[in-house]
Amino acid sequence: MAVIRLFIIVFVVLSVIYISLSFYSRARARDRLEAEWDAGGIDMPREAYVRHGLSDYDGSLRRKLILGVYVVPMALVGLIIYLVNFA
Amino acid sequence: MRYIGWTILIAFWVSVGAFLHYTLPQRDIVRIVRVFEERQDLTDWTRVFWSRPDEQSDAFISRDVQFIQTVRANGRPMVYRNEDTGWSWPPYFKFDTSNLFTEAADATSNRAAPEWYVITHYGWRNEFLTIFPNAISLRPVDGPDASKGIPWVNIIVLTTIAAIFYGIWVRWRRFRRNRIDPRLEEIQDSWEAAGDAVDAKRGRFRRWLNTWR
Repeated sequence: MAVIRLFIIVFVVLSVIYISLSFYSRARARDRLEAEWDAGGIDMPREAYVRHGLSDYDGSLRRKLILGVYVVPMALVGLIIYLVNFA
Repeated sequence: MRYIGWTILIAFWVSVGAFLHYTLPQRDIVRIVRVFEERQDLTDWTRVFWSRPDEQSDAFISRDVQFIQTVRANGRPMVYRNEDTGWSWPPYFKFDTSNLFTEAADATSNRAAPEWYVITHYGWRNEFLTIFPNAISLRPVDGPDASKGIPWVNIIVLTTIAAIFYGIWVRWRRFRRNRIDPRLEEIQDSWEAAGDAVDAKRGRFRRWLNTWR
């Protein structure tokens, strides 16, 4: 089935992008937290501060926005199907 | 060496341009003359210029294809094929071929009382290869000189592609400046240093030789 094959290929490609992006974004968040601690004025061990900040990041909207990697192309395909066939 | 580099570069950009010109939608103002269906043999390499409406079509050596015969606003003929693109490339996701065939049949007019339509399509017409652009949609316009509308899809797609290429290019330049150029300079420096050392040694050798004269 062409549609299943398309979905599998697109899913694999998007998953690679999603995983890379989420690792990159988390590394950026960690860098930011470490820089904040290094700037001084935080009476907390560095390790604990970073771990606490990252657990905040895990629940953040920014992290959920990365799901847009899946949502945006699917919405685009839906829009194209509507415009080409039904508009 | 320089010519080879240029040839590769030009060939690359010409193929990118040709690919985009084939794939992106274009609009023509036409008068529809007739619609028909004709059996096509699809066994040679020009198969790539026809669609894959469904899985079975891969196995067929020939099948019926719908066509739309038109005359363009400049008076020259143009024939479009009318095929589903389905879930395959290019990503138009066109499934309404039969509906478009009906619309086109309903929109035929003759030279005496012409009705003009904008037909959105992708692909090329080539008489030697017998290939046809694929019609995507149809909408009536006032006359042969009417506006075709702003090509939003092309603007968005081309801008996105340009942004991606620019992003890659900038990063490549930065990478080259920071990582490759210093190495090359190092190699060149050490090469020159080696050359100087050889010269110095040869000078000494020559001086020694001259003492024998």
